[in-house]
Amino acid sequence: MTATLVLGRRALREAVRQPDALFMTMFIPLFFLVVNTGQAAKIFPSGSTGFLKGQGYAAFQLPITLLLAASFGMAALFLVEEIEGGYFDKLRAIPIPRYAMVLGRLVAEGAKGILLSSVIVLLALPFGITIASGPLGFVLIIVLSALWGVVYAGFMQLIALKTRSAAATNSGGLIFFPLLFLTPNFVPRDLLTKPMEVAATVNPVTYLMEAMRSLILDDLDWAKILPGFGVVAALGVVMLVLNVRMIKHYD
Amino acid sequence: MTLTEMQAPAVRTEGLVKHYNGRDLTVEAVRGVDLEVRTGEIFGFLGPNGAGKSTTVRMLTTLLSITSGRAEVAGADVVRNPDEARRRIGVALQEAGLDPRQTGRELLVMHGELFGLSPSQAKERAQELLALVELESAADRVIKGYSGGMQRRLDLAAALVHEPDVLFLDEPTTGLDPASRLTVWEELRRINRHGTTVFLTTQYLEEADQLCDRIAIIDGGLIVREGTPAELKADLRRRRGGDQDPTLDEVFLDATGRTRERAAGEVQEVAAA
Repeated sequence: MTATLVLGRRALREAVRQPDALFMTMFIPLFFLVVNTGQAAKIFPSGSTGFLKGQGYAAFQLPITLLLAASFGMAALFLVEEIEGGYFDKLRAIPIPRYAMVLGRLVAEGAKGILLSSVIVLLALPFGITIASGPLGFVLIIVLSALWGVVYAGFMQLIALKTRSAAATNSGGLIFFPLLFLTPNFVPRDLLTKPMEVAATVNPVTYLMEAMRSLILDDLDWAKILPGFGVVAALGVVMLVLNVRMIKHYD
Repeated sequence: MTLTEMQAPAVRTEGLVKHYNGRDLTVEAVRGVDLEVRTGEIFGFLGPNGAGKSTTVRMLTTLLSITSGRAEVAGADVVRNPDEARRRIGVALQEAGLDPRQTGRELLVMHGELFGLSPSQAKERAQELLALVELESAADRVIKGYSGGMQRRLDLAAALVHEPDVLFLDEPTTGLDPASRLTVWEELRRINRHGTTVFLTTQYLEEADQLCDRIAIIDGGLIVREGTPAELKADLRRRRGGDQDPTLDEVFLDATGRTRERAAGEVQEVAAA
């Protein structure tokens, strides 16, 4: 665990030294929040749209904004840089647990995720969005969003380890990107067309989105919240196992 | 370390083989290397480009899997007990592998902590090493701004954080100006005087001649000569006849079956020497 924390501290220092990267990570998701809400708010007026539970359409869109922000992690690109520069080999020659090499950078992604999602939610509050589940709900939204950031960045690290190329890692990220949109991001799942509903149902990201949405629009509804955490936990374990395996067999 | 391990050679390999399996062909990079490096010596590992030097070093430092054969470093089997081997070795590879966004001091403290030192011990050790490699004035600057020579010296310092028994250096002076090269040589001698065995790969024959107690020459994945520089020169003189000892360049060319003309294309340093 010590090695994970030592490497995590390094990754945090790195993030602090590149504040401009954080700005872009926040700008794009907020841009989509404004644009999507602007385009669809009239179609879904809060007074007559049941699934909004009395809130504006921006509250319904907030989860995709948070998931999008959490999916812009830099860990994989820093890893590729380290592989290309030879520092990754230097770390491999140190007797530290291989999981620490995976989790070190992800600690920083988690911390960044907490900061970013807190700022995004706090920025959204003055625009009429309320967190119906209260302060605990606020914390759960932030934690869920940060954990998703960690898992997503972990899968990107996997691509980086496999391809060892920045270009391939960037392209690889595009494979995961549609998962964010094969979800009930504009309307609830039961209002989707049948093929989209099937796609959303098998897409694990849907359960994260629905958990977050429930925390924003409803009181604490554990039947909707727990699947979101379950998905993150399951994907997190798969991500960690695959990464460790990849590093152990890295030649 | 047990008594048996203390008496063990610093590096021992038996029939070390590495094959790279491609889609259409298998490349035999190392084809059965037997080596024994004595504790406390500076051992030079020479060979032309593509001879198998770096591949051998990467296997010995646990960075590359071994196709067949055995390798032990400071008594630890690199396959069966890689973490033990990692604890006993320091590694500085061909390119100075450093994290460009950290300062020199941060990097050394971090390495100390990763090797199990407490934060205060790691800070103290970092300060000692910064003094050793004469980087105290640049210690709190980000590594990205270091010159090539400074990076190489910091890389060396990072490899020494945990006071390893065996230090592996893969072409540590390639690309350095003559002054920086001399500084690295001096540091290597000093490190060796403190009891660290040095396993050095180089293409600079003058470097091997100046620094190394014994050398091995690898070509085509096999060891073709092994001994002290004086022994290798004397051996060639005996076979060729004549009064004057040949140079190490001539030993190298003889061992690898190359002529100066061929060498000019393949091993620039040989032609320049």
